[in-house]
Amino acid sequence: MSSASVGFSPPGGRFKRWIERRIPPTRRITLSQDTVFIFPTVTGFVFGGLVVLLILGAINYQNSLIYGVAFLLGSLFLVTILYTFRNLSGLTIELAGVGTGFVGEDVEFAVRVSRPAGAGREGVQLGWPLSIMQWVEVFDAEASTVKLFVPARMRGWLNPGRLLIETYFPLGLLRAWTWVDLDATGLVYPQPLFDDPPEPSTSQRDEGALIDPSGSDDFNDMRAYRAGDPVRHIVWRFYARSDDLVVKEYASFIDPRFILDWDNVAGDVEARLSKLTGMALTAARRDREFGLQIPGTEIPPAVGEAHLETVLKSLALYELPARES
Amino acid sequence: MNSLLENPKPTSRDASAGGVAHQIPRNSLVLLMLAQVVVVLPHAAHLSLWIVAVGLFCGWWRAMVYQGRFGYPRAWVKLLLVLASGLGVAISETGTFSLETAVALLIVAFALKLLEMKNRRDAYLVIFLSYFVISTEFLFDQSIPIAGYGLFAMVVVTAGMIGLNQMHTVVHPVASVKLAGVLVAQALPLMLILFLFFPRIAPLWSVPLPGGARSGMSDEVTPGDIARMTRSDEIAFRVVFDAEVPRRSKLYWRGIVYSWFDSGTWSVGPVPRLKRPEDLIHWAGWNRDAVFFPEHDGIEAVEYQVLLEPTRSNWLFSLDIPWPLTSGTALTRDFRLMTNDPVNSLFRYEVRSYPGARVDEDLPDWMRDRERYLPADDNPRTVAFARRLHSESSGTLDFVSKVLNHIRARPYGYTLEPPLLPKRDSVDAFWFDTQRGFCVHYAGAFVYLMRAAGLPARMIGGYQGGEVNPVTGHLVVRQYDAHAWAEVWDSGYGWIHVDPTGAVAPERIEHGLDAALSSDDRATLSTLTNLRMGDFPGLADLMYFVESMEHRWNIWVVGYDGALQANYLKNLIGELSPLRIGLAMLVGGSASLSLVVLALFWRRRAAPSHPGVRVFRRFCDGLRRHGLTRSPEETPAVFLTRLARERGFPEGQIATLIDQLDALLYNPERQADPSELRRLRRGLRRVRLQLALNATG
Repeated sequence: MSSASVGFSPPGGRFKRWIERRIPPTRRITLSQDTVFIFPTVTGFVFGGLVVLLILGAINYQNSLIYGVAFLLGSLFLVTILYTFRNLSGLTIELAGVGTGFVGEDVEFAVRVSRPAGAGREGVQLGWPLSIMQWVEVFDAEASTVKLFVPARMRGWLNPGRLLIETYFPLGLLRAWTWVDLDATGLVYPQPLFDDPPEPSTSQRDEGALIDPSGSDDFNDMRAYRAGDPVRHIVWRFYARSDDLVVKEYASFIDPRFILDWDNVAGDVEARLSKLTGMALTAARRDREFGLQIPGTEIPPAVGEAHLETVLKSLALYELPARES
Repeated sequence: MNSLLENPKPTSRDASAGGVAHQIPRNSLVLLMLAQVVVVLPHAAHLSLWIVAVGLFCGWWRAMVYQGRFGYPRAWVKLLLVLASGLGVAISETGTFSLETAVALLIVAFALKLLEMKNRRDAYLVIFLSYFVISTEFLFDQSIPIAGYGLFAMVVVTAGMIGLNQMHTVVHPVASVKLAGVLVAQALPLMLILFLFFPRIAPLWSVPLPGGARSGMSDEVTPGDIARMTRSDEIAFRVVFDAEVPRRSKLYWRGIVYSWFDSGTWSVGPVPRLKRPEDLIHWAGWNRDAVFFPEHDGIEAVEYQVLLEPTRSNWLFSLDIPWPLTSGTALTRDFRLMTNDPVNSLFRYEVRSYPGARVDEDLPDWMRDRERYLPADDNPRTVAFARRLHSESSGTLDFVSKVLNHIRARPYGYTLEPPLLPKRDSVDAFWFDTQRGFCVHYAGAFVYLMRAAGLPARMIGGYQGGEVNPVTGHLVVRQYDAHAWAEVWDSGYGWIHVDPTGAVAPERIEHGLDAALSSDDRATLSTLTNLRMGDFPGLADLMYFVESMEHRWNIWVVGYDGALQANYLKNLIGELSPLRIGLAMLVGGSASLSLVVLALFWRRRAAPSHPGVRVFRRFCDGLRRHGLTRSPEETPAVFLTRLARERGFPEGQIATLIDQLDALLYNPERQADPSELRRLRRGLRRVRLQLALNATG
């Protein structure tokens, strides 16, 4: 019977090796008789038992019309094999998009199902081993996109495994199914932790203190003009009197662009990554410029979504291979 | 990509779409409730009314649950219902465990199961039970209308099963029914192959058979009984003759021999006890001669098959002198045919008759005693009359003709409404006082007269005549053809067939009952019977046609048994070996499945399924009449722009159309919105209208 349980078991053992050879990973696959399997369900076997029972009844009662019912049901079963198989055959499955997520959330994998010209398909169910089975109907439209969510349990690359595509349509007596590898890989960021004060202190490290050469308002000193000084900083009154170009020096310490620093957070590796992730998110939410410094990676401060993604990706892949093979 | 800063996505466990699997989709539920009504309805004919009421009550409750007004019944309510229903079945189906009891239990269980149906497994159980309930109906009736109804019921039940595997938010129940119809239609050819080739074998074990009132002849007959049978125009049996149908007056369908008379009632009488069964009976297929079968060299045999409607009795009907050809049938010592088991469903048997063969030229003593028995002190006037007439006769034949002449000469009358006779001295009352009667009166009195004169004689029950259906040429014998006649034994001749009714109403024998009846009698018959008797010729033709369809159905479907199968298949595939039959099934089966494969996988070229494409294509077809043809490489946008340029349309109008078309056609995931389609169609129509105006203007 069809189930929508979360976490059905993916192929394993010898079957896994066999199916790896038979249906190699691909971003887009059109299902055919090489890739679709079909077998009666429990209901199908009970149905078969019903047919046998009816034939026995027909024999014992010598009743032609009961023979007729039994044969019609048997024929229905055979015809249904074609229908159930046809429901998957010809469908093109492709990966439409992969999302990202944090540990503890779900990562979205969008799968596009398109059908060939001809009759629509219904009652097709899709799911990764750890996601819920979703129903897809491809009726009037030629394609339909399903979003499947796979729980993210560990940071890094998330491979949801093989996608199960199955159908019990039309009678539920047979199950046609296949496992395809869409070569899908989602990225899972560390679980953000927001315990630490969101503003990192800026001047704890000498080399990190920066002076804004152009921005501050506080007057500090006056000195001789050097090439490159902004023209508006020249004290023209002074120039009129002395022919010396003197500039006002504005030298206040502004808020420095801060660095999310591995050494500034405590805890084991995962805790540090989580805290840094939390900081990055907070900073980004406040439109602050920030950089990242963790062992092996240094990202100069910047702002923007793309930057945030780069930072999070570095955090996610800390001490992991850059791309899962 | 979505902004990472949005709220965390819902986890998959919150997603609602996943919850469909274990519940029954609503459209399936609607269909299953409909199916229950459809499936139980025909059983109302032979079930106690309260069982139907239980079924309807459960269905009503389930509908209330469906609407959310009631909850499911509690456990104790269900227990109460089960107990009450079980008790009800036990009380109403008194006596032994019959087939009706089993069917009643099945239907009650079915109704109760529907009531507590919650998940898919329950639904499948209800569906499988439905198929069973449909089948049980065929135990009681296998006629064409019931078969057609059964097919319809199967479509409804199958639709319920399809609904279980469809997304109920998308699919309407009617769509499920349509698909079920297509599925069943596609399964039919394969079913026919299986029906034709699947080996028909004998019952594996004995089963309770449907009871019900016996119809037709009975093993006891009191004058007046057969007259009541004429109220019925039900078919008793049909006969297919290998050659021509014999003349009507020859068609005496012998069924029962009444040898015993007591208190005004004729009955079969006690079966004589003999040491050797082969002296009493000969079963078809026994590889020894029937010791009592008469000499029949030189007599032209008549071969025919009879399709007997259920009688719930063992006797069969045949012409004199029958020889059984179908296994399971036997010839008895008094030259009737019988079966092993009561005939509870249409029974087909083949017979070879030797008309005019002399039987029992020497009568065994036990039989002579049996066929001369009369109760003491009954009908003294008749006994005296018979003895006197016999003493005046020169022999048995002379005596018989004197009796028949007596009937002809006196004002004896033939009527369906004879006066009631007393139990005692009933023959006296009829012969001397009332003198009005039906065939049993005359046959019974005749046998009584013969026995009173010391001659072995017996009354025969059966049917006389029948009607040839001009469409198929078979003979139809109805209950109103029921008849009784007599046999008298004379040494040297054996048993002599005498029909005393012929003396009082010869037209009954020559032309059938309708010719012999007075208008008063006719008025007592049903309208349908009168119609059959040819009051309206056009209607009679229609009835012949309907009857011939029934006959074909009986021969090809209901009566299709091992023997017929062997016959058909021999013509079809030659010698019958398991290999050949298996091969034929394989070839036929794959041929019929190939049809389905073709229907399913054949991709018709250029069959755009998108409604937007269809609208645009129709528009282009229409333009061709104005001499505007879209070349294949032109996209709709390019084509419309060219149109606008050549025919001078306002740019704005065309631009809107192009936008609409682009939105509809180049997004395969887009479901066509009806209002959007309508707008497009309207826009395109306006363009066409302007073109037409330009052309005329």
